[in-house]
Amino acid sequence: MMLTRKAAPSVQGARIASAARPARAIRLAVRAEDGAAATKERKLGPLEKGGTLSGAAAAGKDASTKAVAAFTGASATGNYLQLRDGRFIDDRWVGGRWDLSKFAAANGETDWDAVIDAEMARRRLLEESPIPSTNEEPVLFDTSEIPWWAWVRRFHLPEAEKLNGRACMVGYFLALVVDQLTGYGLVDQQESFLGKLLLHITVFGVLLVRSTADLDKYKNLLDEATFYDKQWQATWAGVPRPSETEQ
Amino acid sequence: MALKAAQKQIVAKAQARAGVVAPRVVKGSRSVRMAVQARAFNAVQIPLAVRRVCGSASRRSNMVVMAAAVKDGAVLPEGRKLRVAVIGGGPSGACAAETLAQGGVEAFLIERKMDNCKPCGGAIPLCMVQEFDLPQEIIDRKVTKMKMISPSNREVDVGKTLSETEYIGMCRREVMDDYLRKRAEKDGANIINGLMMKMEQPVADGPITIHYNGYAEGSKIGTPATLEVDLVIGADGANSRVAKEIDAGEYDYAIAFQERIRIPDDKMKYYENLAEMYVGDDVSPDFYGWVFPKYDHVAVGTGTVVNKTAIKQYQQATRDRAKVKTEGGKIIRVEAHPIPEHPRPRRCKGRVALVGDAAGYVTKCSGEGIYFAAKSGRMCAEAIVEASENGKKMCGESAIRVYLDKWDRKYWTTYKVLDILQKVFYRSNPAREAFVEMCEDSYVQKMTFDSYLYKTVVPGNPLDDVKLLVNTVASIVRANALRAADSKSVDVNFGSKATEEFQARATA
Repeated sequence: MMLTRKAAPSVQGARIASAARPARAIRLAVRAEDGAAATKERKLGPLEKGGTLSGAAAAGKDASTKAVAAFTGASATGNYLQLRDGRFIDDRWVGGRWDLSKFAAANGETDWDAVIDAEMARRRLLEESPIPSTNEEPVLFDTSEIPWWAWVRRFHLPEAEKLNGRACMVGYFLALVVDQLTGYGLVDQQESFLGKLLLHITVFGVLLVRSTADLDKYKNLLDEATFYDKQWQATWAGVPRPSETEQ
Repeated sequence: MALKAAQKQIVAKAQARAGVVAPRVVKGSRSVRMAVQARAFNAVQIPLAVRRVCGSASRRSNMVVMAAAVKDGAVLPEGRKLRVAVIGGGPSGACAAETLAQGGVEAFLIERKMDNCKPCGGAIPLCMVQEFDLPQEIIDRKVTKMKMISPSNREVDVGKTLSETEYIGMCRREVMDDYLRKRAEKDGANIINGLMMKMEQPVADGPITIHYNGYAEGSKIGTPATLEVDLVIGADGANSRVAKEIDAGEYDYAIAFQERIRIPDDKMKYYENLAEMYVGDDVSPDFYGWVFPKYDHVAVGTGTVVNKTAIKQYQQATRDRAKVKTEGGKIIRVEAHPIPEHPRPRRCKGRVALVGDAAGYVTKCSGEGIYFAAKSGRMCAEAIVEASENGKKMCGESAIRVYLDKWDRKYWTTYKVLDILQKVFYRSNPAREAFVEMCEDSYVQKMTFDSYLYKTVVPGNPLDDVKLLVNTVASIVRANALRAADSKSVDVNFGSKATEEFQARATA
């Protein structure tokens, strides 16, 4: 409805105007026709009017690079994490390493999270289906190219936040319990030696034992660390070593 | 009265055994555990009764028994030389026989197959060439470059720090074993072509009788024969019969599988003095796959402890990883052999000692065994020669334990360091990625090669060591962080329940 009204307002307006006031109508019709001629070059089409955005600025973006390419007739999309003919192909993987310029974020700096994601995906892919190693395309990417603070920000900080939260919750709850039992408030508890000791135990306990699986892990570590030694000393069971008896 | 005499007997016996008191033939009461047949020197068989004798009634038979039984430390009667049988003619056996013969001991080397090509990587370190005076002719190739390839195919060239004269020697086992045996023979050892069947020691402290099938020249059928010796050195490899005879106990072993592939000349040029090591879950869960150049072909193989039934899959994966580099190759031989993972629970019993693979002297992480086999054979023989004063006196378990103690003290650090490396870096795919990343560092390369080529753990600059430790931890942390959440790779546990745990987790 809107469309038809907008499409030919000048003509209808002119007709109505001419019926009511013939003299002014003619002037209006003339002006309207002038305006109509001008609008055909200046007025925006329906697809552009009304707050229509496009590309990244739009609330919904382009359907997919493949669809855009199909629509505009551009070549097919680039390669993304593919294994073809026993080779790893990705537009950002150049000369055996990740081309950091292709990971530029909006403000021009390298988006290290994206680099980490890409390398994780590549390793996962190759774990599932290993490819032969060739002399023509050696892999040269070293993870130390990613700066240390990117690792800290991505992996350490969330874990630290979680552990700190746990320590706080456990500590506060225990402080309340001790307060109820002994009458010492939160600050008074920490002034005693026992309070300080329990505080340390809580913090380090939460740090070392993050889940029940960790307890098994430590037991296993102890077994592993001493197993080989035991195997070597088996032949000396009950028999003193000559070097020991000499002394 | 009889009791006091008996007590004096016990004390005297103990003293003689400890070698403290000048040995003398103990007369009088003596108890023998089982009814046995003893063979005296002039091959006269004299049956013995089982009883405690305190009289002159059977003194003659007693004295014959006691003459056959010579205590440790006693001078050998009739001025004869000490006789030692070395079962197995590989590097450990041949070096033991050579050292024994050089020391004036009569050595008998019993080997079942004189042209045996034992399935082996064939890599010998520089210290072996130096210490054992190996001629350059037996070394087919000198490997000066080594490539380590991670699960994601990250390659690192290891060997940048090697000097002009340093190399890893690749040799043919049949050539090297034959050279060592011939050298032992030249020094005076008796080489016998035969297969040991059984070993028995009827009388404690008496001679040991070895029953074997002797193979005459070119004959495939063996004729039974016996040999009487005073000591036995078991050098017969991973499936040692001597170890079974003395009930030495079982050990965990890896199964190593290898295919020899003849590849085109242009591809062979790449491997002229380069060896490759592939790590990854696909290649082996707890070992590595290798491509070692031999004299005119390459050997592609892999090994595993925890998942032996899947060894063919691992071999296929290793071949796939090296597919492009070995394209157009033809398989000329397929072979497999067990590799011990740790020493047997009992490495000696009475006058029988184990050396080499039979004892289980193979390092973790690299699986190196040739040098340690040869060195243990030599050290055991040296201990026997020294305790017997060049073959003039009898010696026994105490001498063998001296060799075991010396061995443990000398090489324990090397074995433990390699064990720690295996536990840290062969645990999972991220750990292997970190391993390959660490090997890029020239300090690591220098330390690795120094300890491999010369078998000494040389302490470096402490500051460099601290830096190395920090870099190692950082590498491992990064590699583990890059592990995808849905990764299906299974971590290996190197503890006492390694195999069961791996199977349980893999199927869960």
